Parts: sequence; structure tokens; C-alpha cells
Amino acid sequence: MASKSRLLKEARECAKAPADLGISLQPDERNIHTWRGHIRGPSGTPFEGGTFELTLSVPQNYPLFPPSVRFKTKIFHPNVHFKTGEICLDILKGAWTPAWTLLAVCQAISALMADPAPDSPLNCDAGNLLRGGDLRGYASMARCYTLDLASAPARQLS
Amino acid sequence: MADAEAMEVEQAEQPVAKGKGRGRGAKGDKDGEGKGKSGKRFEIKKWSAVAMWSWAICTDTCAICRNNLYEPSIEYQANPTGDTDHPGLSIAWGVCGHVFHLDCIQRWLKTRSACPLCNKEWEFAKIEKILPTGTMGE
Repeated sequence: MASKSRLLKEARECAKAPADLGISLQPDERNIHTWRGHIRGPSGTPFEGGTFELTLSVPQNYPLFPPSVRFKTKIFHPNVHFKTGEICLDILKGAWTPAWTLLAVCQAISALMADPAPDSPLNCDAGNLLRGGDLRGYASMARCYTLDLASAPARQLS
Repeated sequence: MADAEAMEVEQAEQPVAKGKGRGRGAKGDKDGEGKGKSGKRFEIKKWSAVAMWSWAICTDTCAICRNNLYEPSIEYQANPTGDTDHPGLSIAWGVCGHVFHLDCIQRWLKTRSACPLCNKEWEFAKIEKILPTGTMGE
């Protein structure tokens, strides 16, 4: 019950989030425990120009437990499973605290896109390129997928 | 350097504490010098006053339920019992200085015994009741 009223508060705050954040986030019209987010690919990364959709499923005992978040748009990134979109991020697991919000989680994911952690890879191909020092190879693969799969126009971010 | 500063402070403290109206010496060295010739024991050459303040509560929102800390927790609002000892009507400080509703932090501590904001091991510093709304001005 309490999770619902906190989620309603968060929904109101997300509606007020500044556009230059590059993140839009809103609950499903019929289910406050399912949210959809869009992250603009951070500038200066191979994801620039792309828009990446996320689905967040929020447990009943939120915020004591974290939401589970997946990329719905395919992304070539060492910490994201290429097929399932599963994300390897500490705050979505053991490092979660109830002081996080869904919007802050999306900001953390945006930061992860700009700053991959190749030592705990879910996408071994991406991880191996980075660990082998092949930055150019990683960037061009990631760029290629961004252009191919994340650049559908007319996705509004506001 | 540190010693020199300490000296200045010591000298400065006396006339201020005794309040003998020698404040002028603190302002300009030239004034001070003039008086120094007429038998003054010491003069203030420099006095750097530094002050700071902070709120007793640095935020007014409970980071767990996002309700105002002067209002009951979300959990209590959803199921008000009327019991004035309900933990949703109290706020708890940790030794780290962070504040949450008592019931909010109690529920979180079952998951992990760390402050949600700074991740330090949680230890209660104090617990206080929120004034019930409606009796605030009485």
C-alpha cells in the first residue's frame, strides 16, 4: 500500500523533471508498478543520438526492495545482456537503499552507459573488446547498434 | 605560521572578553599604534571571526517514504490507528545525522543495518515524536 503512494509522488516528480536530463519516465496508465523510461544516449559516447527504452517493474515492497530494470531497446554494452536487456548494476542488487528513486536509477543507468565496467560483463563480446583495450572496436560496434536499433525518430523525450 | 595565528587569537580574546572598549584597535593598525605609545599593553593586529550554522535537520523529507518529516509516514497515513505511540508518528536520528520516520527506518533495518543515505552502520541517536497536526499552534 505504502509503495503505491510513494510511486504516485515519484510520478508527479518525474513529470516535473527537467528536459535536459535526457530521461523521461512515467508509470503505466493502468499499473503503477510498471514504468517505462527513455534515456537519451549520453553525448560523447557511442550511444549519442540514440533513444533507449527501459521497462521498470516495481515490487510491492518498494522502496525496501529495488525495481527490476531492463533495456527494451537492444544495446551493445558490457553490463547489459544483449538478448534479455538485463542490467548489471550494484544499486539494482545489493547496494540498493530506499533513498534511491526510479528517476535516480535511470540517471545511474545513463551514467553506466557513459562509463562501462568491463570487469563484470553480461555481454562478454563487449567486455572482451574493452578489456583487450580495443576501444575503437567497442565504440564502432556500439555505434553500429545504436544507429541500427536505437535511432528510430520521433521518440519524444520530454 | 600556525603559531603566529594562535598568538594573535590569544591576544585578541582578552580585550574582547573584558569589554574595555578597545574595539577600535581591531579595526585599523594606525589607530592601534597611536594608542600603543600611551601605555597600552597590547593591541589587536588581526581578528578573523569565523561563524557557521546549520539546521538541526538538514532535510525536511524522509528519504524512505518521501513524506515531510513533520507529517506522519506514508505507512501511517495509509493505515492511521490513532495510537499516538505509533512509530509512524515519530522520527529517528542516526548517529550519522540522517533522519527518517521511525517505522520507515525500522522496516529498512530488517533488510540491512545501514543508513539508506550514507551506508554507514545504523545506530539510533535519538527518537522524537512528531507533534500531531492540528495541535501545532496550541
